[in-house]
Amino acid sequence: MKKILSVFITAVLVLCLSACTATDKKTKYNAYYFDYFDTATTITGYTETKEEFDAVCEEIKAQLNKYHRLFDIYTRYDGVNNLVTVNDVKGGKHQTVKVDKKIIDMLIFAKDIYEKTDGRVNIAMGSVLRIWHNYRTWGLDDPEKAELPPMNRLREAAKHTDINDVIIDEENSTVYLADAEMSLDVGAIAKGYAVERVAEFLENKGVTSFILNVGGNIRTIGLNGENEPFKAGIENPDTSNEEVPFIEFLRLSDMSLVTSGNYQRFYTVNGINYHHLIDPDTLMPGTNYLSVSVVTKDSGLADALSTALFLMSEEEGRALLEKIEGAEAMWVYPDGRQVYSQGFENYTFEYQG
Amino acid sequence: MKNNKKAKNDIILVAVILLIAAIGLLLVNITRQDGAFASVKIDGEETARYSLSDNNTVEILTGDNGEYSNTLVIENGRAYISEANCPDKICAGHKPVCYKGETIVCLPHKVVIEIVSDSSDSGLDAVG
Repeated sequence: MKKILSVFITAVLVLCLSACTATDKKTKYNAYYFDYFDTATTITGYTETKEEFDAVCEEIKAQLNKYHRLFDIYTRYDGVNNLVTVNDVKGGKHQTVKVDKKIIDMLIFAKDIYEKTDGRVNIAMGSVLRIWHNYRTWGLDDPEKAELPPMNRLREAAKHTDINDVIIDEENSTVYLADAEMSLDVGAIAKGYAVERVAEFLENKGVTSFILNVGGNIRTIGLNGENEPFKAGIENPDTSNEEVPFIEFLRLSDMSLVTSGNYQRFYTVNGINYHHLIDPDTLMPGTNYLSVSVVTKDSGLADALSTALFLMSEEEGRALLEKIEGAEAMWVYPDGRQVYSQGFENYTFEYQG
Repeated sequence: MKNNKKAKNDIILVAVILLIAAIGLLLVNITRQDGAFASVKIDGEETARYSLSDNNTVEILTGDNGEYSNTLVIENGRAYISEANCPDKICAGHKPVCYKGETIVCLPHKVVIEIVSDSSDSGLDAVG
């Protein structure tokens, strides 16, 4: 009888071993949110338990919500001085607005980016971008009546886009727009900047094996559940291609990936798509590429660089990348040709979906 | 003689147990097809999963009184939104999806359709 029992127990143990080899493997969880930065947020994390994942998600939500409210340029919130407040209070009468230090830090980052990108990323272009935003919104609401913004209106607005008129007083934590006709639009950097701050916050708390993906603004923290770099796919800018949804696959650890593409936010006028990446020189959407992807550690930098490179020639873009350590890019031309910076392919791998 | 019989019984028992275990494992592996599913998430919570191998049409109703709708169609191994009453209709204009990691998002209705697989491969961790 003892023998039988021991055989039985052995058999059970063998079965368990074969079935449960993955017991120490962490489980992958996803969470989806829709309330931040006018886009969909996906949190991916590898944790031992669902509770652990949920707890981190709560922290992420609280952080994203804080930055979303501060950097919002469309909506006011009770008790918060945000960028709407800054845009509304201007008037050339030395009206300064006291704001959270997070806004000051982001604006300083934005000014630095302006210098680095030779003005291609300009948060003082709100007057121009607002016109495009309105025409796009109307065009999406009523596609039959979609129109392009009149060039004379764009040119008039472009006279009020001097970033030196954004006066920042770091000591007193105030902002003041010296040109009454100007306004701030931080769409090209705020999302990435906020994601980087949240990622730093998590890293300081010792969180690892997580990905923040705010509308395609991807920031990875640590390694995945198998202690390998995360696997990320870059979308095919030809969104009608059903056979090839992804044009490149990257392995990323503690890195950010941001893609700026002509397929992301656009509206259609007379059969032609007009997207949201506006060239400060032509005041029209950039037409050099279908998309530009950037890999670098800092998500804010990746966000800004992808916009800047999208609006530059490849030559100018390569020269810009030379000046920035640890940043790589992939350009996708209208004919589908993919061109890489020197180190980009260190991240790519073959993947069979 | 008695001992021999006992030993024989033991061997039979072991054989039977191993056979059952082998059949069990085989069954688990055969029935677990490497197939893909369309996972439906409403406001972040997965509410349903539909196999891409069965043609299907599903009305996804959201909002407090089910006033928002997205019609999910699964046809020939691909999933797409055929109709939606959201303002931008971006989801309905999205190409059919079938590869792991592909998503269709309806931002106004907070609906996400994601192609997932139940195989051990965790798939892509992020797309963008």
